[in-house]
Amino acid sequence: MNQDEMIKIEDVSMRFNLGIEKGFSLKQGFVDIFDAKKRKEKKERKKKNEFWALKDVDFTIKKGEVVGLIGSNGAGKSTLLKIVAGVMKPTKGKVLVGGNICPMIELGAGFDMDLTARENIYLNGAVMGYDKPFIDSKFNEIVEFSELDKFLDVPVKNFSSGMVARLAFSIATVVNPEILIVDEILSVGDLAFQAKSEGKMMEMINGGTTVLYVSHSLESIKKICDKVIWLDHGHVVKIGDIEVCNEYYRSITKNQEEVNEEVN
Amino acid sequence: MIKTIKNMFIGLKKYSFLLKQLVVRDFKVKYKRSFLGVLWSLLYPVLTMSVMALVFTQVFKMSATGVNYLVYLMSGLVIFNYFSEATNLGMSSVVANFGLINKVYIPKYIFPLSKCIFVGINFLLTLIPLYAIILLTGTGINIYHLLLPFVVICLFLFVVGMAFFLSSIAVYLRDMFYIYGVLITLWMYMTPIMYDFSIIPEKYQILFKLNPLYWFIKFARDIILFKSIPVPSVWLYCSICAIVPLMIGIFVFRKTQDGFIYYV
Repeated sequence: MNQDEMIKIEDVSMRFNLGIEKGFSLKQGFVDIFDAKKRKEKKERKKKNEFWALKDVDFTIKKGEVVGLIGSNGAGKSTLLKIVAGVMKPTKGKVLVGGNICPMIELGAGFDMDLTARENIYLNGAVMGYDKPFIDSKFNEIVEFSELDKFLDVPVKNFSSGMVARLAFSIATVVNPEILIVDEILSVGDLAFQAKSEGKMMEMINGGTTVLYVSHSLESIKKICDKVIWLDHGHVVKIGDIEVCNEYYRSITKNQEEVNEEVN
Repeated sequence: MIKTIKNMFIGLKKYSFLLKQLVVRDFKVKYKRSFLGVLWSLLYPVLTMSVMALVFTQVFKMSATGVNYLVYLMSGLVIFNYFSEATNLGMSSVVANFGLINKVYIPKYIFPLSKCIFVGINFLLTLIPLYAIILLTGTGINIYHLLLPFVVICLFLFVVGMAFFLSSIAVYLRDMFYIYGVLITLWMYMTPIMYDFSIIPEKYQILFKLNPLYWFIKFARDIILFKSIPVPSVWLYCSICAIVPLMIGIFVFRKTQDGFIYYV
């Protein structure tokens, strides 16, 4: 990996087995041991149930690049983010990451709803891999940014969802990570907080953070990204500048027109 | 194997604050809104053990030859209760934290480990009533009590190994929760906790001696009740019963942990 490369995805494929929920019982497993034909059938069925969320994805992200991932639902965007974040291991291929990651895949994933906001700041900070002195030193900053100082000792279960998201965003962004992974979270909180969180993100981007950003809002992608990766059914359709957004948009509207024509 | 353990220790250092937070979280959540709070950690085992003591001394008229039955019962019960509660909580810990495992990268072994430590602290608290009984019944304390930390460490390692093993199996086979419930009841009766080991016919004794808990409890009772240093073979068996299950647990957990994500 070169010095200026931050994330390197090499021929990554990710397979899920759709039949995993069904064919798993002790009884069935027992029966199958004695039945060679069944076993063969099962193997074939397993193959049929395979689903490739990502197939031969290959790209490199340089340091400081802000990369947007676009594509329809089920294109593999979130799976790709999870693989980069280390939550999943790819079935095939290799992922190289050259810095510390701040994954904002789902805000507040590490919260315990029974604990207070204060306790959750420490718990969630620990989940992200920070130690106590660090969280101590950033505590006021987190509270200030989230504007929740009045509710610090209230259990999080009594928070509104906007408040939870605000707290989580404040904890997640208190560090300056080298790589920021963002999965459609800028729509948290009220308008004022949205503007504030967007400002915080821009601040990080200007500070040289490498960003991997997923959004269905082409407007926001065009606004912040300088590189766009278009995914469809697990394949990379195109990698390029924000012009790719327009192509993507045209392809959707074209499909829509075809559907409309069929209906008519 | 050695590399695995080394990596585990490096990870442990980085995530030691998270481990601490998870243990603290368990205490906070467990005693939230209860009037007596952490005092229950002391009171609960005292009360349940009192019930058992009452039943076995007054109703079944049990006794152990040459020693105080109450101390005999309690010393076994304290050890077994730790094993039973920690393995049960440890087993469900990975499944219970799927929400987190699916969102952020955390070393997964931290969940069963934190449960073993959490219950372990409770276990140390139950030693207070145990020692109260040792003193009140006139059994007395001797210098060999200083050797007891050895068996506590062995017990802890064994429990951690079991928790690793069970928690990874439970991800793939949820039936394990029910199977283990039955198994633990059987295990309790197969361990000489409330009866004297000498009532077991000689030809079956070997079967009972395959049980690691038999050796841990024997070690403790040799010191507490018979005021003697356990013979070298008991030390050896205790060590084997700690290390071998721990190795198996680590091995199974490591082999299976990358697959957890598919069984969410």
